[in-house]
Amino acid sequence: MGEKSDVWQGTLALMVLRTLETLGRLHGYGIARRIEQTSGDLLQLNYGTLYPALLKLEQEGFIRSTWGVSENNRRAKFYELTKAGHRQVAKATAEWEQTTEILARFLTPAQEG
Amino acid sequence: MPKLRALWIRLFNLFGISRARQNEADFDAELASHIALHTEDGIRSGLTPAEARRQALIRLGGVEQTRQAVRERSILPWLESLLRDLAYALRTLRKHRGATAAAILSIGLGIGANVTIFSMVNRFVLRPPPMGDPTTLLALHTAHEGDRCCNSFPYPVYTDLRDQATSFSGVAAYFELIPASIAGGGEPERVFGQAVTSNFFQVTQLPMVVGRGFIQGEENAPEVVLGAALWQRRFNADKAIVGKTITISGHAFTVIGVVTPAFHSVDQILGTEFWVPLGNVRQLVTHLPSQSSREQHWLAVVGRLRPGVTRDQAAAELKTLADRIALSNPKTDKGNYFAFEQAGSVPQGDLRAVILFLTALSIVVLLVLCIACANVANLLFAQAASRQRDMAVRLALGATRFRLQRQMLIESTFLGLGGGVLGLTLSLWSTRALSSIHLPAPVPIDISFHVDWRVLAYSFALSVISGLLLGVAPAWTASRPKLANALKGEDTLARPGRPISLRNFLVVAQIAMSVVLLCVTGLFLRSLQSASTIDLGFRTQNLLIMSVDPRIHNYTPERTVAFLTQLQQRAASVPGVQSAVVTDSTPLNGGNRSDGFHIEGGPNDPGAYVMADLFMVAPGYFETLAIPRIAGVDVGSETATGPRIAIVNQAFVDRLLGGKNPIGIQVSGGGATYRIIGVSGNVKARTLGEETRPVLYRSLQQTVATDPSFLGYTLIVHTVGNPTSVEEAVRRQIHALDPSMAIFNEETMEEHIHAAYFLPRLAATLFGTFGIIGLVLAAVGLYGVMSFAVSRRTREIGIRMALGAKPGTVERLILRQGLVLTLIAVVLGWPAAWMLSKLAGTFLYGIHPHDVFTFAIVPPFLIAVALIASWIPARRAASIDPMKALRAE
Repeated sequence: MGEKSDVWQGTLALMVLRTLETLGRLHGYGIARRIEQTSGDLLQLNYGTLYPALLKLEQEGFIRSTWGVSENNRRAKFYELTKAGHRQVAKATAEWEQTTEILARFLTPAQEG
Repeated sequence: MPKLRALWIRLFNLFGISRARQNEADFDAELASHIALHTEDGIRSGLTPAEARRQALIRLGGVEQTRQAVRERSILPWLESLLRDLAYALRTLRKHRGATAAAILSIGLGIGANVTIFSMVNRFVLRPPPMGDPTTLLALHTAHEGDRCCNSFPYPVYTDLRDQATSFSGVAAYFELIPASIAGGGEPERVFGQAVTSNFFQVTQLPMVVGRGFIQGEENAPEVVLGAALWQRRFNADKAIVGKTITISGHAFTVIGVVTPAFHSVDQILGTEFWVPLGNVRQLVTHLPSQSSREQHWLAVVGRLRPGVTRDQAAAELKTLADRIALSNPKTDKGNYFAFEQAGSVPQGDLRAVILFLTALSIVVLLVLCIACANVANLLFAQAASRQRDMAVRLALGATRFRLQRQMLIESTFLGLGGGVLGLTLSLWSTRALSSIHLPAPVPIDISFHVDWRVLAYSFALSVISGLLLGVAPAWTASRPKLANALKGEDTLARPGRPISLRNFLVVAQIAMSVVLLCVTGLFLRSLQSASTIDLGFRTQNLLIMSVDPRIHNYTPERTVAFLTQLQQRAASVPGVQSAVVTDSTPLNGGNRSDGFHIEGGPNDPGAYVMADLFMVAPGYFETLAIPRIAGVDVGSETATGPRIAIVNQAFVDRLLGGKNPIGIQVSGGGATYRIIGVSGNVKARTLGEETRPVLYRSLQQTVATDPSFLGYTLIVHTVGNPTSVEEAVRRQIHALDPSMAIFNEETMEEHIHAAYFLPRLAATLFGTFGIIGLVLAAVGLYGVMSFAVSRRTREIGIRMALGAKPGTVERLILRQGLVLTLIAVVLGWPAAWMLSKLAGTFLYGIHPHDVFTFAIVPPFLIAVALIASWIPARRAASIDPMKALRAE
């Protein structure tokens, strides 16, 4: 697998939510870097696509944003999970796990008969 | 929920409610901070500042793209462009104010006409009665094999049905029409009511405004349910009326409830206003058939289907039930069967006429709307032509055709909706005017119709549909201008090699439709004209009519005769009165008592029968009404209990007696034998349009006791001058005899006859109005097309004139074009009108549906109008200055 994968439709939101759950308050650039790092640099994320996704999550009430100052003293907009966001992470994670589990059954060779 | 929340936020953003501008600045700052953070990272990893910034921008995927993606996410892009189109459409319409007003007026007239007629259709065909689930409420009838359906029920047949039919959860019976006087709260008034079985309100499931309906065990209770209109009119909508006692025809009844204002009778036609338990009916109505008779039909019946039972199952059960009843009562019930239809729908017998009339009207108003739409479509074509450069530029800049078409369709839909609003306003006014028409009928009839939600939905749908329809063709054409031509500043919509343009086609269609409209209009105007020359056979002026019903004031027959005789004498002695007479009902009342008559002792076969209308007369009747007495003597010499005498009209003599000398001949009918003592001239007895009917005039004093008038008695006063001038004096004479006597049907004979002209006048008014609207619209349409043609051909005409064409020649050129279109239209429309006019035949008085005069006059009339419409642009063409015309381009 020489090429980096693009981010699948719909999974970006979960990645963002999950990142914020793990790291707490974070700005957009930080989220993008973190997602790349977590994927072991296997994902090629177009940073620009992150912002509509963030806006969507904010509109849906899963995250909220505030202006703050970054570790190297730069003004940046920080995102954090809302209560609904925490619930949504749990829900989406469960859904995703179920999906992958089902898919896994199709993809692993049958063990008997 | 999160999705909905996001949608709301985006909507708010779109309409600028949550500071969209600030959002954008905010995001710009965020983006800048993102790039700065990324660049710093790059520098830290050893890149030059410039390279680090370049990398950051590449990884971002473009600042402008990101900004656009976020902007689209923060609002709803498709809605935004739609809103922009809407705003643009409104701006365009406002800019072309004149054209917009003309378009809205055209469509408004068309839609107004349609909505008015639809309100009628809604009232008579569509609107369900306010009685529970209307589909399970059936109006039941009895019928006899071989006879025309339908008859009402004898009481025992009703109880058989009620007790044995399992298809119904309840079957109720009611006596349809009780004339009564109601006192209290002002002058006594005659009202009509019904007597119902105690389960009536359970079966019909009528909603009550206050109180309740009757319940089991109240068969004979002195209780009454009031109609909402009566309650408002006489009792000021007093909610505390329940429990109070009111007097109906001298009998005390306790009010237990008020029924919903939407209800005035199960059939939705009769305007009855109170309901009493059936056990009381004999107090209020005399001469009713015996409760135990299986032969006399006097009760209307409604049944509520049991849930889950279909009409077919009910029909099957009723059939077996009828057979069983016939077996147990072979003498009376053999050959009888039951029939039903949904309660409140137009009765089968009248349905055809009503539907035919409404169909004819619907076709006519649809034609009007089509003409109006064609008109506006043409107007839009003209506009499209003047906006072709605009369109071409937008196309060249990358707008899609769909976008342009949507733009034009939005405009035309706006026009449609504007027309819809205007049309609805017009129809509010016209339905009120039409509802207030007084019907020539002796029984109370409520046919008022209003605008309800169905009508609103219909007019909305009609506006949108016509808006879209009239926009489709112009939008299609306008969205595909020839770009090359547009850049050269030439006509981009002209398609070479296509001689018949869509615009010409539209105008031909318009004129053809107005040919049809005008022919129909002409027929109805001719019909009204011909109706107004009908010889009624009696005096029409200087007559005052007033009715009273002593029976509803509990008068005995003897007292009634005495009252009426005194009233006649007193009225005749009022100053300004020439003569006065009492009778039962005035002629032209719509319907009347009639019986079959045969010569006493003559052959008794069906051919020797004649159906004659019956009137009761007192001495002086014929002189007062100026009906010629041809032979014999007047009534007056008979005694109340002596041998019965009668005067017959000429038609009676001709049909039954074949010209024999009728005086002294005995005729029998309706259970009585009369000796003919005189012959009178013919009159129109029931309606204007009728073939002359045989009439038999009975002596009032011999008839009141044995065969009383169901609807009261009428005093007719012949005055010297204006009949209304003695009205008060005559009223005083009535109240001098009995101050509690309710007076009704108070009118002059002219007013009475005016009402009798109801149908021809209504038809002529409706069709006349629609015809004129259609004609004006078509003329305006032709004018529009011709003046557009002139403006398009300005240069051509300029060249012609520069080359020596005379103004007259140019004028003729344009006129000829208009005339050719008109002639084609007439050739197409005339045969269509000829065929369609048969539909109208049933409603015409004294003229043939293919009335030669109408069909001969319409084409030249229309051509004349068309000539005028194209003459104005032709004049303009002739006055073109060739120098100016050529320089303008």
